Amino acid sequence: MPDPLSSLPSGLPAWRRSLDPRPPHGGVAFGDAAVDAHLPEHGLGLGQVHEIGVAEFDDKAGFGDGQARTGALAAAFAACLLARLPGTRPILWIATVCDLYPHGLAACGLDPARLILVRARREAEVLAAMEVALREGAAAAVLGEVGAFQRLAARRLQLACRRQGSTGFVLRRWPHAAAPVRRVAEGNAAATRWRLAPWPSERRDREPGPARWRVELLQARGGRPGAWVMELAEAPARAMGDRDATPALRVVAALADPAAAPPSRLRAAG
Amino acid sequence: MPLWPIQRLRRRPGFAPPDRALATVETRQGQRRLAAVSPEAAARGLAADQTPAMARAICPDLVLIEADPDADAAGLAALARWCTRHFTPLAAPDPPEGLWLDITGCAGLFGGEAGLVEALARRLGGFGLQARLAVAGSSGAAWALARAVRQDGSILLPPGGERAALAMLPVGLLRLEARAGFLLRRLGVKTIGDLAALPRADLAARFGTDRSRGVLARLDQALGGAEEPIAWPMPATPWEERLAFAEPLLTTDSLAAALDRLAVRLCARLERAGRGGGAFIATFTRVDGEEKAIAVTTARPVRAAAWLLRLLAEKLERVDPGFGIEAICLAAGRLEPLDAAQAVLLDGAGMDEAPGGKLAATIDLLANRLGPASLWRAQPWPSHVPERALRPVPPLAPSVPWPHLPPRPLRLLARPEPIEATAPVPDAAPLQFRWRGALHRVRAASGPERIGAEWWHHAPPGPAERSERDRLRDYYRVEDTEGARFWVFRAGLEERRRWFLHGFFP
Repeated sequence: MPDPLSSLPSGLPAWRRSLDPRPPHGGVAFGDAAVDAHLPEHGLGLGQVHEIGVAEFDDKAGFGDGQARTGALAAAFAACLLARLPGTRPILWIATVCDLYPHGLAACGLDPARLILVRARREAEVLAAMEVALREGAAAAVLGEVGAFQRLAARRLQLACRRQGSTGFVLRRWPHAAAPVRRVAEGNAAATRWRLAPWPSERRDREPGPARWRVELLQARGGRPGAWVMELAEAPARAMGDRDATPALRVVAALADPAAAPPSRLRAAG
Repeated sequence: MPLWPIQRLRRRPGFAPPDRALATVETRQGQRRLAAVSPEAAARGLAADQTPAMARAICPDLVLIEADPDADAAGLAALARWCTRHFTPLAAPDPPEGLWLDITGCAGLFGGEAGLVEALARRLGGFGLQARLAVAGSSGAAWALARAVRQDGSILLPPGGERAALAMLPVGLLRLEARAGFLLRRLGVKTIGDLAALPRADLAARFGTDRSRGVLARLDQALGGAEEPIAWPMPATPWEERLAFAEPLLTTDSLAAALDRLAVRLCARLERAGRGGGAFIATFTRVDGEEKAIAVTTARPVRAAAWLLRLLAEKLERVDPGFGIEAICLAAGRLEPLDAAQAVLLDGAGMDEAPGGKLAATIDLLANRLGPASLWRAQPWPSHVPERALRPVPPLAPSVPWPHLPPRPLRLLARPEPIEATAPVPDAAPLQFRWRGALHRVRAASGPERIGAEWWHHAPPGPAERSERDRLRDYYRVEDTEGARFWVFRAGLEERRRWFLHGFFP
């Protein structure tokens, strides 16, 4: 079936163009056919906003516990994706609380020297700063850590991406203020929405093996959702900044049921 | 300012001993020698040019400090600047220990020259500085008299009194070169009066006719026959542009238009000078006398008026015009050389092509919103202690290669948090631990990685917990039954062993 939009004159109004689901900037292959098949660009779409959340948002497990712990998971997943973006331009990392430890990025294959860290005072400022940076398009990618990510904000960022083909990542973190948060599961305008949870690794003589996560693709515009268990490859196996090398993430198992429960959590009685 | 190096050291905050013997020491042609000696030390028989060993033998409680001629000169220059604010617009340092003040026309403000000298002596005394002051009609006479007057004294020479006043002073006070002074002493010319009595033609034949430093020139400078050129420090060219309005401006649009004119003018001046500014301040003066200022900083020096205007316009709405703005001043700071090629990259047109320029532009925009201190780049720092292994640098600083470290967490707690951990034997990884109320059972652990405190950093005397935590840490990477990974460490010695959580692995 021919695309009805293609028959329209080229002077398409801007609002109409902005609804075009196909971004003109291509994508970056995930490196695994099982995952790439779920994504419209056969990989992560460039020039779009992607959202990365963590399962504990919904569970509301321990308050402080979730906030700090889940930050590492989402940041690592984002860093693995960022490392695969083309070019060596800098990456802007915008947050209200700077607990990122750049020495740990090497494990995800991302050169910490590419990072420009930006501290904002409020979450609204994080989103506003992301919008400015995406519109300028000087950075390879712009990443922001926020607790709440509303529809309107997602739409604004998506529009800001279009002009220069910048790629944005939004990390959902437990908000530091006690404001009510919308659940991660609620939809918004992000191109893809991921949800992560920790997964037990393959032990070797009681030593932890390579890190494993349950990665859930909640929503992909033009694609279909899925769930996998992925493993972070050992750091020495990869050369930093070399995108053709083994991808940092490897699918270990596909989960048939996206809602597969993580192994039962052990909690203290008191 | 007699013994300026000593006076400067004594004024330094935290410099305790006020009445102990003090001397500075310098290395002269490979030999350590005393440079300046305080009066207390001189009273005990010390003198300049002695060796430090001999000085210590004479005076065991002597405080010896390395001479710092640069700091001495800087201190003197600062004092000269202070004088320009309070006494006369013309004040210059005269290293190593003098100050020139041209008080022509200024004395009237203090009730005459005597009043000025008294005020100056009082103000300097308030700083704890001792000065010998001399006022004379010629620079050479003032120089010689200031050094001839007794400690803490001052002398006022009536006009035309130079010849009489200097006649009995030794020729050494004429600032002669060492060779000439030596020669004069050998010829039996001891006082300035003796010298002035000699025929000028013979002096010129014997000592030459150097116009600024020769014997004749110095004599004329002292006796008032010749003007001495003194290098008065000139105030730097102010990099600012002003506009004043007959009719006060009320709207933001008119303010923006006025700023535009100022920016174009200022940037044109910067371009002629081959420079760019890194900080700009626009000051708005309201009709009621209130001043409002907005400031922008840039990651790289710029002189593109359009860009400057865009950054300023973002903050323009913070300016409340009140009853109207009657004057605007735009000033540039942090000036650096900027050649034409760089300027093109940063110019409005070139900004889209050059990624470096575009990045700088993005950084400027973000810094304008969030404040210049909120953008930085992390650089590795050679320290074993994890929280010290990073250093913030400006966002456009050149990047350095990162070291390969053992596995490090991706999130680090600002301060390690104490946890309750259970370990089977004292030197093993924990079996389970409780952090913020939640129990985590450990299913796998690797380690320990021992990180010692850097003994060369002084441990600040603080609570016991802190020093204990800083001493020695055994780090473990642990994974709990859910697959979450933590970085925990054990600190302290046998009986006071404690566990802390420091970071999170993905």
